[in-house]
Amino acid sequence: MKVSGVKYLIEQGVDNVWKNRMMAFASFCVLLVSLLLVGFSVLAYFNVNSIIGGIESKNEVIVYLDDNTSDEALEQIGDALKALPNVTSVSFYSKEEAFESLKSSMAEYEVLFESLGDDNPLVDAYRLKVDEISQITQTIAQIEKMNHIYSIRAPYDFVNILVQLRMILTWVMGAIILAMIIVSMVIISNTTKASVFARREEIQIMKYVGATNAFIRFPFFVEGMITGFFAGCGALVITWLVYDSIVNILQNQVDLLSIIGMGSIIQFSDIYLIVSLAYVCGGALIGAMGSVICTRRHLNV
Amino acid sequence: MVELKNVSVTYSSTGVDALNNVSLKINDGDFAFVVGSSGAGKSTMIKLILKEIDATSGTVTVNGYNLSKLKRRKIPELRRTIGFVFQDFRLIPSMTVYENVAFVLRVIDAPRKYIRKRVPYVISLVGLQHKANAYPNELSGGEKQRVAIARALVNDPQLIIADEPTGNIDPELSYEIVELLKGINECGTTILMVTHEHDLVRHFGGRIINITQGEIVFDEVIGGANEG
Repeated sequence: MKVSGVKYLIEQGVDNVWKNRMMAFASFCVLLVSLLLVGFSVLAYFNVNSIIGGIESKNEVIVYLDDNTSDEALEQIGDALKALPNVTSVSFYSKEEAFESLKSSMAEYEVLFESLGDDNPLVDAYRLKVDEISQITQTIAQIEKMNHIYSIRAPYDFVNILVQLRMILTWVMGAIILAMIIVSMVIISNTTKASVFARREEIQIMKYVGATNAFIRFPFFVEGMITGFFAGCGALVITWLVYDSIVNILQNQVDLLSIIGMGSIIQFSDIYLIVSLAYVCGGALIGAMGSVICTRRHLNV
Repeated sequence: MVELKNVSVTYSSTGVDALNNVSLKINDGDFAFVVGSSGAGKSTMIKLILKEIDATSGTVTVNGYNLSKLKRRKIPELRRTIGFVFQDFRLIPSMTVYENVAFVLRVIDAPRKYIRKRVPYVISLVGLQHKANAYPNELSGGEKQRVAIARALVNDPQLIIADEPTGNIDPELSYEIVELLKGINECGTTILMVTHEHDLVRHFGGRIINITQGEIVFDEVIGGANEG
């Protein structure tokens, strides 16, 4: 095929978009809605995942130490804890601090504390934050092997809930995304089918004058790609506007943010490049493939 | 050249024998009318020649291609040696007269320069140079059929098949269309015209092939009324 031939076919594809503008507009709308459905499902999934991650990171493991532990040993334990692979931060919490905090939280029982005098019944402790909450059991097992450990308090129940929540979420969101993709494909293929069906006679004529299948398909491919490209751009603009306003609303909810953590919501500016690429390429690809696949059954003349 | 040797076609879906042991030879430069009532097997014969369907038995040779051995991907090559005129014109409504004709040359990847020269020439042969930029819906039936003939003619095929080309146009214009086909035939193109208009056949005469119930019952050259 000569360059002039390819140029002609591309021109045909571009012309076809305008000539069949009603059908092209229908495909555009369907593709736009489909991309938005899938796009928002994916974005919601990543955000919820990130929020769970944020909640996880607020959980701490408290390691209580034996009462008679020397300062030297305390430091050694601190270093050992910091060296653990799953531990992100370690802070020392002395028994004096703990005692003061206990006193202030139980001010009405002052008499009780007076009877203790200077005798502090509490012990020194380390507070740890872990990276991967699902591996907390292994981390605790490692800590238990160390010397001078009095006891360890970890939010086991909470961890289990979070791990399960994340698993359920992955499945549910995965199913929703899959369903959205399937629904989109069905609608898209029906729309393109209608568009191709409207031009089946044209295709037949092409076959009778000796056009090869590739020659017939190429303009449809270009046409689908153009429609898909614009649908991708449209979806990108809508997602950007809607997503940003949702994020703005959420950021004004101080109570909510204090639970889920400020950094847990993904900002659009952080992901706009990947979202743009996914929408535009996805749109163009689905549009092109959709129309090419649908021409197939009309080609056997 | 078209040659059918002991060709039978049975439609497997309905079990109907559309053609029954038909042998026929149409030489280069012939002009032949194919007549017969509907359902006699005329359309089946055309579909065979275009390799839209395959013969159940026998061999079909068209312009040097043995159709029973022709691979699917070679079908476009075969069809480029055949011009086809439909009863219902089958022009692409979104293309102008010029584009409808030029389209055939684009399919065979002809150079642009050649297209720019050849298309206006062929359109002028059918007398529609003043309508080159019109769309099919702006043309009369007779004009549409002339565009279809120009389209069939433009890549200089060895054979033109016209399937009831006068079926959808006024009777007085029918003669014009056949005259046009006759003129093309005089330049050396083989023409196979399917029709059921006996007046037309009687008027022009020539080789008449009558198909009835899947068999050729008559194949002879008769003198036309216009020849005296």
